Amino acid sequence: MTAVTGYWNRLSVPSKVLLVAIPTLVVLGAVATVALAILVPPLVDFLAANEDLVRFLLAATIIIVITIPTAFVIIYLELKVIARMNLRVGPDRVGPWGTAQSLAHGFKFLSKEDFTPRGVDVPIFTLAPVAVFLATIMGLLVIPFAPGLVAQDLNIALLYFFAMGGLSVVGLMMAGWASFNKYSLIGALRAAAQAISYEIPLTLSVVGVVILAGTMSLNTIVEQQAGSFLDWNVWKQPLGLLIFFIAATAEANRTPLDMTEADQEIVAGFATEYSGMRYGFFFFAEYVNVFVISALTVVLFFGGWNAPFDWPFPVQVTLDPASLGIGLLFLVAVVPVLGTILLALPFWLLSSRISTLQALAIGFVLFNLLAVGALLGWAFISFDWVVGLLWMMLKSYVFVFVFVQMRATFPRVRVDQLMGFAWKWLLPAALLNIFVTAIAVSLVANG
Amino acid sequence: MSMVPGLGLLKGMALTLRRFFQPAVTIKYPEVDPDIAVKNRGRLQLLYDEHGTLKCETCFQCAQACPIECIDMGGTDTKGRYAVHWGAAETYGERREESALRRAGREVPDAPSTRFDPVNLDAVDAILEDHDHDPHRMLSILEATQAEFGHLPVAALKHISHRTGAWYAMIYGTASYYRHLRFERTVEEVAVCRCTACLMAGGGRVAQAIGASLGTELGRPTPDGRIRFTWCPTHLPGAPAPLVTVDGEPQPEVTVANAATWAQALAGEHPATRTVH
Repeated sequence: MTAVTGYWNRLSVPSKVLLVAIPTLVVLGAVATVALAILVPPLVDFLAANEDLVRFLLAATIIIVITIPTAFVIIYLELKVIARMNLRVGPDRVGPWGTAQSLAHGFKFLSKEDFTPRGVDVPIFTLAPVAVFLATIMGLLVIPFAPGLVAQDLNIALLYFFAMGGLSVVGLMMAGWASFNKYSLIGALRAAAQAISYEIPLTLSVVGVVILAGTMSLNTIVEQQAGSFLDWNVWKQPLGLLIFFIAATAEANRTPLDMTEADQEIVAGFATEYSGMRYGFFFFAEYVNVFVISALTVVLFFGGWNAPFDWPFPVQVTLDPASLGIGLLFLVAVVPVLGTILLALPFWLLSSRISTLQALAIGFVLFNLLAVGALLGWAFISFDWVVGLLWMMLKSYVFVFVFVQMRATFPRVRVDQLMGFAWKWLLPAALLNIFVTAIAVSLVANG
Repeated sequence: MSMVPGLGLLKGMALTLRRFFQPAVTIKYPEVDPDIAVKNRGRLQLLYDEHGTLKCETCFQCAQACPIECIDMGGTDTKGRYAVHWGAAETYGERREESALRRAGREVPDAPSTRFDPVNLDAVDAILEDHDHDPHRMLSILEATQAEFGHLPVAALKHISHRTGAWYAMIYGTASYYRHLRFERTVEEVAVCRCTACLMAGGGRVAQAIGASLGTELGRPTPDGRIRFTWCPTHLPGAPAPLVTVDGEPQPEVTVANAATWAQALAGEHPATRTVH
């Protein structure tokens, strides 16, 4: 016993950790392998039997989860892009180039007191941010991100989308009404007035697209725009795009038309009484909404996940990792170690100033970079949806950028100008767009 | 063109897009030092030495160097001679008053030249007339003024500044540069030679004795400021006794033995009844 203790005491801290961790991992791996071998077949059978449910749950989970990085990226983008446009540097303290700034914002909101004022209607007051947030992410369920990558391919997807978008008004009204504060109520009423007013031209502006497509399924609308960028709807519906974009700006409460949450106006409107993460949720929803609206713009008018030109891709490799059989296991077990050592070797040999451990660390990082690159490349070659997703994201973020740039450029409009513009200009223009489109379609069909 | 609806919006968007690609003007201060000209002195401030005495001795060199003439002085300096204030005129109460008077179009009292004893300016005018009011002949003007008054009164300097158009700072700078020009009234200069021969003959003890009698030490004026006690330039070697001069006149009767009594006599001969600013 003494010998063992002495040996243990002579070990350095990393050695102690390794000495404990390696057997533990081996044992855990063995247990997991056995457990998987026993559990997997019945589990697979069960999942196969309830495929629709599993698919829905998976999609819903993924969509809720991806809203978080989406919002973080957009918040960071907004801070940084607006800063650049103001010739400032923007956030650069938290994380490299300030990339963790939105994370810090999130923690700030979480750590603030979540205050519930006296006299509020507690359940409704609590549920209002949830309603606003849900109304936003429900729209994400029908947006096709890539071929086959759509949570629910509804045949009335567009209608569903606008119905869900309209629900956010309910959330705003809940917040304003339950706050027990007349200013909140006025703000909520104003927000509702704006949202409902702009809902009409927003919905009417896409009717042209629906007439052209003959369907409300977003997936089909995207598929019909396949080909080069000349096949996109934007050339057939320029007025529709203009109206849609302006109305969507109002719907997403973005800057030139963001009366609903103008902090300088009536003390942040419906959100006056909110604090902490409940307040944060309104803005979380707003940033997700920016992405959703951008994605919908791309889907309706800019060809969705279609590449803007005929994408000549000569290499068509179908490399199925499962075909490697037991070789895959060796690959997983041996290649990381071998790769790390091989990549570390040149550094270790060429420079005597780099210690063995440092060289290994460099090799590890390099190997990981290479492995991730190889994995992405393999996915890019093997799966259609990776390319589609990349195009979709690229186009969407172009519009996110435009939204951010608009915030950096335009001053806020007055509330009467806002309403007048919706009813006097956007609505007639949208109706005109519908009539012209319908006449053109019937002329083409009959003539 | 301005009638095209939406054109202004597009112009704004184009502007922000251009700005987006321009380099940021931010200076990350603690990490990066701001790019400031080497001649920049920032906010001007008067420094105090370790005894808490103002280091500024009103040499007016700063005021002369200042390209925009923003430095002004008023108050009293370390020798009790002048009003020393420093900084923009509006920074000080009395100057604010002046400023208000000036803006109201009323006559501004010239505090420095009224506070210090007014002199008969006719003499100054005559001197200036002789010199054709030419600021280039300032040294000559100042020498003539000193010959007239025995020293350079502030009121006379102010008057010269007004008449010739030269800055007061420049005149003051010129006057304070030359040793033979004095601001103090009827100051006598007692000097002890510090050459090796005089030191060998007891110059150190003489200087100590005279300093003790006058209540000062070598290089400093007496407490009433009337007698300057300093050293004189080296004289020829081979002196039988240490050389002591009064206003440049050798005093051969001073020896190591009678230096103290001689100095007391000198001090008593000039009782410090006249106040000196």
